[in-house]
Amino acid sequence: MLSSIRASTTAEAPRPSRGRGRLVWNQFRRSRAGLAGLAILALFLLAGLFAPMLAPYDPYEIDLEASLRGPGGGHWLGRDELGRDLLSRIIYGARLSLVIGVIAVAIGATVGVPVGALSGYLGGRVDLFTQRAIDVMLAFPGILLAIVLVAILGVGLVQVMVAVGIVSIPVYARLVRGQVLSLREQEFVDAARALGATNTRIVWRHVLPNTLAVIIVQSTLQVASAILSAAALGFLGLGAQPPAAEWGSMLSNARQYIRLAPHSVTFPGLAIMLTVLGFNLVGDAIRDALDPRMRL
Amino acid sequence: MRRLLGVLATIVLTGALGFSAAAAPAVAPTRGGTLIVGSGTDATTLDGHLYTDAPTATIMEHITETLYELSPEGRVQPRLALSHTVSPDGRTWTFRLRPNVRFHDGTTFDAAAAKFNLDRVLNPATRAPWRFLISRVTEVTAVDSSTLRLVTDAPFAPLLAHLTHSGLAMQSPTAIQRLGADYARQPVGTGPFRFREWVRGDRVVVTRFDDYWGEKALLDEVQFRVIPDDGARLAALEAGSIHVAVRVPPREIERLRAGRDPIVRIDTSLRTIYVAFNVTRPPFNDKRLRQALNYAVNKRAIVQSALAGTARVSDAPIAPNVQGYSPVPVYDWDTDRAAALLREAGYSRERPLRAVFHHPTGRYIRDAEIAASIQGLARRVGIELELRTLEFGAYIALTARPREQNDIQMYMLGWGTVTGDADYGLYALFHSSQWPPVGFNRGFYKNDRVDQLLDRARVTVDQAQRNQMYAEAMRLIAEDAAWLFLHSESQVTGVRAAVQGLIVHPGERVMAHQAWLRR
Amino acid sequence: MWAYVAKRLLLAVPVIFGVAFVVFAMVRVVPGDPAQIIAGETATREFVEAIRKDLGLDRPILQQFASFLTSAARGDFGRSIRSRAPVSEELAARIPNTVQLTLAGLLVAVVVGVSAGVVSAVRPYSWLDAAVMFVALAGLSMPVFWSGLMLILIFAVRLSWLPAVGTGSLAHLILPAITLGGATAAIIARMTRSSMLEVLRSDYIRTARAKGAPERTVVNRHAFRNALIPVITVVGLQMGTLLSGAVLTESVFAWPGIGRLMVEGILTRDYPVVQAAVLLVALAFVVVNLLVDLLYALVDPRIHYG
Repeated sequence: MLSSIRASTTAEAPRPSRGRGRLVWNQFRRSRAGLAGLAILALFLLAGLFAPMLAPYDPYEIDLEASLRGPGGGHWLGRDELGRDLLSRIIYGARLSLVIGVIAVAIGATVGVPVGALSGYLGGRVDLFTQRAIDVMLAFPGILLAIVLVAILGVGLVQVMVAVGIVSIPVYARLVRGQVLSLREQEFVDAARALGATNTRIVWRHVLPNTLAVIIVQSTLQVASAILSAAALGFLGLGAQPPAAEWGSMLSNARQYIRLAPHSVTFPGLAIMLTVLGFNLVGDAIRDALDPRMRL
Repeated sequence: MRRLLGVLATIVLTGALGFSAAAAPAVAPTRGGTLIVGSGTDATTLDGHLYTDAPTATIMEHITETLYELSPEGRVQPRLALSHTVSPDGRTWTFRLRPNVRFHDGTTFDAAAAKFNLDRVLNPATRAPWRFLISRVTEVTAVDSSTLRLVTDAPFAPLLAHLTHSGLAMQSPTAIQRLGADYARQPVGTGPFRFREWVRGDRVVVTRFDDYWGEKALLDEVQFRVIPDDGARLAALEAGSIHVAVRVPPREIERLRAGRDPIVRIDTSLRTIYVAFNVTRPPFNDKRLRQALNYAVNKRAIVQSALAGTARVSDAPIAPNVQGYSPVPVYDWDTDRAAALLREAGYSRERPLRAVFHHPTGRYIRDAEIAASIQGLARRVGIELELRTLEFGAYIALTARPREQNDIQMYMLGWGTVTGDADYGLYALFHSSQWPPVGFNRGFYKNDRVDQLLDRARVTVDQAQRNQMYAEAMRLIAEDAAWLFLHSESQVTGVRAAVQGLIVHPGERVMAHQAWLRR
Repeated sequence: MWAYVAKRLLLAVPVIFGVAFVVFAMVRVVPGDPAQIIAGETATREFVEAIRKDLGLDRPILQQFASFLTSAARGDFGRSIRSRAPVSEELAARIPNTVQLTLAGLLVAVVVGVSAGVVSAVRPYSWLDAAVMFVALAGLSMPVFWSGLMLILIFAVRLSWLPAVGTGSLAHLILPAITLGGATAAIIARMTRSSMLEVLRSDYIRTARAKGAPERTVVNRHAFRNALIPVITVVGLQMGTLLSGAVLTESVFAWPGIGRLMVEGILTRDYPVVQAAVLLVALAFVVVNLLVDLLYALVDPRIHYG
């Protein structure tokens, strides 16, 4: 929410150029927090992409005699109630979260960006109708819409991805529409129209590229949001089913052992927090790099 | 799924339903107060002839009564019937009923009322799940107002034991006839407590019946509150917002024992936990696969981890304290044998055996965890199980569907042989006449020899001969791997120190009939 | 300004209808027979048919929607599949609990957030500022259900200062309120800080300082009030987070509110309950947003909404 206010105020972006990317990166590098975030994300990405190689044990292999053992003896983060290695499960959980985050954002952007662009550019009744539809979607606070979708689609990993994806759509639509509205009246658009370009071409070739920066910033935050939402659904028991190593459902399962095995409750949640923190740090730093005036 | 009663029976009973042997209070009992029992599942129906689960039985046992009762030590005792005689041919039973007994609605309990109740159970239209208990009764007659006569088609050994089953409760004919389908929401019986209210999904409340024929209850009221989550139930107990919590997570026993309040009791329970296979559908119509799963699961490890050792690995379909029990060869943990059987049946790592495993959550001790453990153990030999769970009422309905609609492949359940007699533990679950919707053989098991043995044992009077027949039947059942045999539970109940006189019956019934709260 | 108010109210109407339609459609989009779905898996055939007739499920969609709306307006959401009690009763029992929790969370969020933001803003770029902002960032990265569990672990299990679950006393409210308000407090803190910094840099503040007013007055009288405006916006925006966070917080603390009812409803496929709960929360959110928008318009006459 906050991000969408902030991002939309950086609307007067000039034409992107190769030099600009370099400028942004240089600015970004100055932020220690941003770099820290990047490091965390790199770790997350590594864990997600190379889980089978990084995980010390099979995340589904149970060992009932070692139920709920704390950290030690080769199991750095301890075991869960079925004796499964927590570190391995958390690493595989990163993979799951990565997949969910990327797919959800992909769905959201693929649908939301064109919808928002067209809605903003064409205006009139199309805009009015689309905006009301988006209003309705945004009228469901937080994960409520995702919960409704899961209630319809059923519980499971795929359903969670789709639900979280759909929930991202209005965010992108609103964002891009705002950008398009301000860009629409600019000179280069008039020029293009004077030269005979169709609406679609104008939107595609001229307007959208200028919103790219904003979309990128939003996407980093949106991935974090998607991961958080998916974990929440998992926590409520609406996500991937056992024995899936999903952070949210791991937490939900570990609740009953909070007294006996606090490690099983601490570490999965810590993983979620660090990942989201990473994305937030990076997102903040990018935003600051794009517009130093707004530096916090 | 009723509780199995210990028939070890060596302790002489102390008379009326009352104080368990251990609780000899040093203080005089105080009258009054409300006892709150934390239950894991809601009552499924409050019609004494229609429910099938023990938690509902617990509630009903306070409201309704049967002709005979089974004491915690395993003796059949008179309750609404005072005495009986049997004709020389063993087929006619004459019962003298207790006089001056009233239902909660004021009507009289007499032989006509008893006849009404038994007829109702026998009537196929009622669909009483416990009909099989008295299915050999051909005639029920009210000879006079206090004499009841039953005639069976052959000498039926377990009849008296069966008449203690709370599914044959004596309920008010007037109320049943007047209320029709609504009766299931407001039962009327003869028990020491009368029904007050049922807030679905939340609680059932009963209040003391002051015109009870026997020893009046001490408590004013008993509430059975539904707290499905084990941890939350225990937390409520420790906080003092409930007095009794059923099914305390076994891992917490150690910690609780270190404190003084609440107290943890471990009582015998004759409930056997098992996973039944639908033997009429793939993949488990193949005996090798059923056996493979039995070999793949390390039951001892499950008992040690999830149940903290408070259970006994099954070596028969029924628990040791059932009349007719004998250990039979079951399946030891042997992953090599399991893998071999799978290979033989054509499965491998590349083409693993897949099945859907249904289980309840919150009904039996650590049921979901046990299911997950089985899933994990099966995975090691290359069996991929998908877990599915449902809220208990829906779960029961799902497993009880008739064969054509029942697509379940394997499901977890528990069965308590509350009558203390093997007939109850085996006939209902393994006889081919007991397929749903008639009975509880929800795995659709059928073995002609087993049928024969179970039928014969029902009408044989000599106990030694019956035991032999049951032994053979159980051997066949185990060899057929009709079940994934797991364990028999103990009851782990948490009770606040102030609670006195509470009985935790091996029939998995918490009984507050003579309970009171120390101030 | 009144034109703005009228326009805003008008715009809310189609949104409310839209929300109601989504909730209504929920049951009819699920694969399967809607009557069976609403009646529940264990329902008898007669009961299913009764439901079908009751809700007129064979009538045209718009007619069904109309009767759904009229029933809902009356407060009739049908009966819960599980408990057979009227859904409105179950809701009524739980609404006060959720309201209590949400308000407590809001209180924590505003008090802690604004204070932290002000503290940061008056000593910008100091170590205190950096520390507060980092804690804020960490706080809003923490999933609500995890921070709740951690608080339980520390304060209920390890220290035994506060109860872990349930309701009844103020003590029971503390941990859930902190959990719920925590993430929002972080966001408010950040917003307050940036807003105040901007204001403190502005012309009229410099004028006040140049006139010799003491720093305390500058901060309190001038900066603070003006900085509050965007903060109100953020609080309004965060109501959504608070409401949805309440759903999760209620699960963690076994708080008997609407959120928990909703989740249990989904897990037991008790659709009438889910529909009613979702509708209620969404409508509450729409109303709150409306109020915040109106409040905003009232408070800041500089804002023009075309």
